[in-house]
Amino acid sequence: MTVDSGMPAATAGRRPASEPAETGDGRDAVVCHCRNVSVDFDSSEGRRRVLEAIDMDLHEGELVSIMGRSGTGKTTLLRVLCGLVEPGPGSVVTVRGQPLAGPPEGAVFVFQNYAASLLPWRTVERNVALGLEGKVSQEEIRERAAGALEAVGLAERAKDYPWRLSGGMQQRVQLARGLAMDACLLLMDEPFGALDAMTKTSLQDELQRVHREREPTVAFVTHDIDEAVYLSDRILVLSGSPATISDEITVDLPRPRDQLATKELPEFLQLRRRVYDAIVSDR
Amino acid sequence: MAVLVGFWELLVRGGVVEFDFLPAPSGIAAALASLAASGDLLPPLLHTLRSTIVGWVIGACAGVALGVWLGLSQRAWRYSMASIEVMRAIPPISLVPVALLVFGFSLRMELTLIVYVGAWTVLVNTIDGVRSVRPELLDVGRMLRMSRLRVVRSLILPAALPSVIVGLRLALSLSLVLAVVAQMIGNPAGLGNALIRAQQALQPEQMFAYVFTIGALGVSLNGALRYASTRAFPALAAGPTDVT
Repeated sequence: MTVDSGMPAATAGRRPASEPAETGDGRDAVVCHCRNVSVDFDSSEGRRRVLEAIDMDLHEGELVSIMGRSGTGKTTLLRVLCGLVEPGPGSVVTVRGQPLAGPPEGAVFVFQNYAASLLPWRTVERNVALGLEGKVSQEEIRERAAGALEAVGLAERAKDYPWRLSGGMQQRVQLARGLAMDACLLLMDEPFGALDAMTKTSLQDELQRVHREREPTVAFVTHDIDEAVYLSDRILVLSGSPATISDEITVDLPRPRDQLATKELPEFLQLRRRVYDAIVSDR
Repeated sequence: MAVLVGFWELLVRGGVVEFDFLPAPSGIAAALASLAASGDLLPPLLHTLRSTIVGWVIGACAGVALGVWLGLSQRAWRYSMASIEVMRAIPPISLVPVALLVFGFSLRMELTLIVYVGAWTVLVNTIDGVRSVRPELLDVGRMLRMSRLRVVRSLILPAALPSVIVGLRLALSLSLVLAVVAQMIGNPAGLGNALIRAQQALQPEQMFAYVFTIGALGVSLNGALRYASTRAFPALAAGPTDVT
């Protein structure tokens, strides 16, 4: 219930202003920077460490998938980046150079459970407008909500209630809510996990298109190896208990990718194999 | 319903059941008509209606305000939870003699009871609604960096609304019950008192006429509230029953 908690989490790791969080080797700027991140949860048997010594950088415009067996803490890692879970002592998390203190500006979380995270008493367009209310003018809210709904192809369902839409459409509403916020960091927690195969592929292409047009940085948690290889620039594999990043796989398949052509490439199949091995080897 | 009434009429007319004071439905209808015509029905009806609604409104406002506060404030909840659990277990009817002793045969006694029962019912349902808001919704509020005020206004209160409305409807029925009981035992006015006087005057037709008037009043109050809440919150009326 304490919505206003989650105060300074990573102040111990505050960087001096003269040392910006960049890789320094001429690559894109680092949007999200994690060093030595750990997370502990209180359980009945005392404190249990879920994540340990996570080092990770997300670069501008990159789409990175986070994979691993069930219960390894993928979602927890994503929630740390969104300021919803406080990392343990000694963790350094910065988003665009700012140490994390609560949900960072420009970061938007797309929850797996779309039905529970859309407001059933609001129409689609008012759901999309939710995060903008009280921050920008009415007119701008309308424009940005309309633009976001246009971007996910739901402009004509603006006045409908979300529960009248199919699961895939509801998940697109959630994506639109993020786009309306002008998110530069999209944190997606198994966003297509609950959808049927056909809807899933069409939403993957939808995400790919939005990513190409608006170039947000995306951290994407998924169980689906094909999906991870198809969408990502990079795949991080979490394993162990407490979990740490055990493997990193760069996906250099050409873009734009195509559901049939890309998935038939020998490189795609090799990568798929490689990711599978990385996850399964976690014993 | 019509079959039941017809059956009742037949039983009484045919002499199958013979109680001294069980009138036939036709007799009750006649009594109701004559009461209405003589103007003896309207004043007690209006009195009961007025005290039920006034008491319910006061009780509901207090219940919603206090319920939102107790639901939101962890500390207030911790300190008051035990007393609420004990107090809510006391049947409000058992407080009728207490109120009678404290306030005497007065309108104050009647209204106090109605406000009390209304406030409790709304309070308990409001706390429940506010406290059982799904954590996913609160995560959405944090993630979108909404202010505390906006989280309460745009997420918590609308999510708690169905539960509050259930409380309001329960409270309205209970307010009518307490009004009638209070009038029967305490405050000498309204339909409850008229019912008792008909009983003591050995006028079963009139007595049943008052009973059915009270029933009709209850049904109309409930219907009016249901209509008002669907008009005021169309999304709620159209909404899915299984979400939140």
